Amino acid sequence: MYARKNILVGALLFLMAISAEKVVSAQGIPINGFVQGLWGGRLQEKNPTSSDYTASEVRLQLRMEHNADIAEVFARADFFNDEVVAGGNDWELREAFTKFTLLGKVDFKVGRQILTWGTGDLIFINDVFAKDYESFFAGREDQYLKAPQTSLRSEYYSPLGELALVWTPRFTPNRTPATGRFSYYSPMSGDFAAEPFEVPRPAETIRNSELAGRFQKTVGGMAMSLYGYKGFFKNPVGFDFVTMAPFYPRLNIYGASARGQAGGGVFWLEGGYFHSYDDQCGGKPGIPNSNIQGLVGFEKQIAGDITANIQYQAEKMLQYNRYERNLVGSDKEDEFRSLVTSRITGRFRMETIILSSFIFWSPSDADWYYRFSADYKLTDNMTVTVGGNVFDGIRRFTDFGMFQLNDNLYARATYGF
Amino acid sequence: MKTKISRTLGTIAIAASLAISVNAQDAVEIAKKAHLNYYYAANDGLAEVSMKIVDSKGNERNRRFSMLRMDEADGGDQKYYTYFYEPSDVQRMTFMVHKSAAGNDKRWIYVPAVDLIKPIAADDKNSSFVGSDFTYEDVSGRLWTEDNHTLTGEAKLNDRDVFILESKPIKPYKGFSRRVSYIDKELYLPLKEEFYDGKDKLERVLTAEKIETIDNIPTVTERKMQNLQKNRYTVVSFTSIKYDLGVKADLFTERYLKTPPREYIK
Repeated sequence: MYARKNILVGALLFLMAISAEKVVSAQGIPINGFVQGLWGGRLQEKNPTSSDYTASEVRLQLRMEHNADIAEVFARADFFNDEVVAGGNDWELREAFTKFTLLGKVDFKVGRQILTWGTGDLIFINDVFAKDYESFFAGREDQYLKAPQTSLRSEYYSPLGELALVWTPRFTPNRTPATGRFSYYSPMSGDFAAEPFEVPRPAETIRNSELAGRFQKTVGGMAMSLYGYKGFFKNPVGFDFVTMAPFYPRLNIYGASARGQAGGGVFWLEGGYFHSYDDQCGGKPGIPNSNIQGLVGFEKQIAGDITANIQYQAEKMLQYNRYERNLVGSDKEDEFRSLVTSRITGRFRMETIILSSFIFWSPSDADWYYRFSADYKLTDNMTVTVGGNVFDGIRRFTDFGMFQLNDNLYARATYGF
Repeated sequence: MKTKISRTLGTIAIAASLAISVNAQDAVEIAKKAHLNYYYAANDGLAEVSMKIVDSKGNERNRRFSMLRMDEADGGDQKYYTYFYEPSDVQRMTFMVHKSAAGNDKRWIYVPAVDLIKPIAADDKNSSFVGSDFTYEDVSGRLWTEDNHTLTGEAKLNDRDVFILESKPIKPYKGFSRRVSYIDKELYLPLKEEFYDGKDKLERVLTAEKIETIDNIPTVTERKMQNLQKNRYTVVSFTSIKYDLGVKADLFTERYLKTPPREYIK
């Protein structure tokens, strides 16, 4: 019943889109975007979630831009009907910002925006901008992994290098998959659960705003960067034993990266020191300890149509003996953790067929996550995609092990205009 | 008697080899001149490019983008900046190439939907450019110094006098085993190029469909690349061409990859 209504709405939006060859607003500003339907189903029957679907939604994205001499304005909004979680119509302003330059040296981007930096491929150390793991697991387009945030970005360019500062007045956390759509392991109950949980954000004070900075310099074709961040863990990894509720502990990050071309490919290196500000001595059981992380990656075109990469990430928890001494419960994390990933992308038939495979595998946590997709571009406007997400792990509390009941397959159809 | 004959033969051989080397010298000069006219016109250039890709079933795909080029030296390094308008899924994407005459090119792409700058690991110059029949190398050019050239004849093509030049890669190369170019004697522009594959079978044919003079520079404003083996073709046309804009090198950096220079790119 619901699914049928969804398809009808999709068909209607689709007809509207193709009948409007060039959509133009009253001011003559062109409007572009897409209409997209996404349907996904679970592969495991035994599951605490209420729906057999991981996705059943129709989405209309509208984009508009205006480039004046003094500034550039861009906006993009999604209107969607999501039957699995939202249960009806909703919309989201994905981006709405203005860009301008002062004194020819400082570029500003102000407003709701999506931000990215760092070198990893789906591994983020110094990229402290909001992610959306619900979209990522549900088979939405890759662009939805990045969630919007309302920020002020300034970039100062000088012969010495480029200094970027991003100020986000209101802390913007990651969107977790725990919205009711996916099940997860709950250490509280010691079992898999699907109840959505809302975690209160830190109070709206200037002290609680997020500040991220990067200094970048390109030396001999290699981009070298230093990073700093003052804010909070982007996931609700803290647990308050008094109120028995999760929260966002404070976090500072200091990091560096390098990226360049060598050996007929691209390589990257990145590292970061995660300073757990609320648990500096490492003895508080409800707050993660500080840690250091490092990442190395290499990507190469291995055949005319195929590109492959490999990444290795290592993480060491600091003050591990204090963590061990004060641990509550039995879900004990390891001192050293490692993660290996590999992406293979093939573009065939003059880039009309794109096959993609991405594996995350943690030798230390003994868990893995595999995602794959096949895109077929019927025309310049119409793309059909099928794909899937598969999780597994020996232990229930690890990063991917906790989502092991969420294996899904999905189909997506997109008409761009 | 015997010595006289051998001496005569020797003289003939020297004369013949001289003729060949003169010919080879001419051939290299022609190849160089045509290359510079075709790929290094003026010091910089801007054009709006429309690309029509037609597959063997007649299905048509279209790309539209602006392309900005700057030469560091004639026949040397170049920088390219591309801003996409169509199709919808690549709209606002930018693409940058630092072409190195000596080593490997560097390429970057910027995906605005996720604010992502990504260097592209692509050392294969023969991969297709945006899904068309043109390769990256067809777009930015293969240096004449990478091939041996022979002037094999002269002819008329579409009422124009042309040199016929045969070029063979010095190092083994998978892009072609042999290329035959028909170069306009007056304009020194290739009117036609035939690319032969490893089995010496004709694979692709490039033709100059339209030549216009812009700012006193004869410019091929419409090019067609046919793939005879796959029975498909791509036509590119260049409009709003401008030369010698005085483009600065710092425009080809990450800053402008993220924020297109609006004085050139609307």
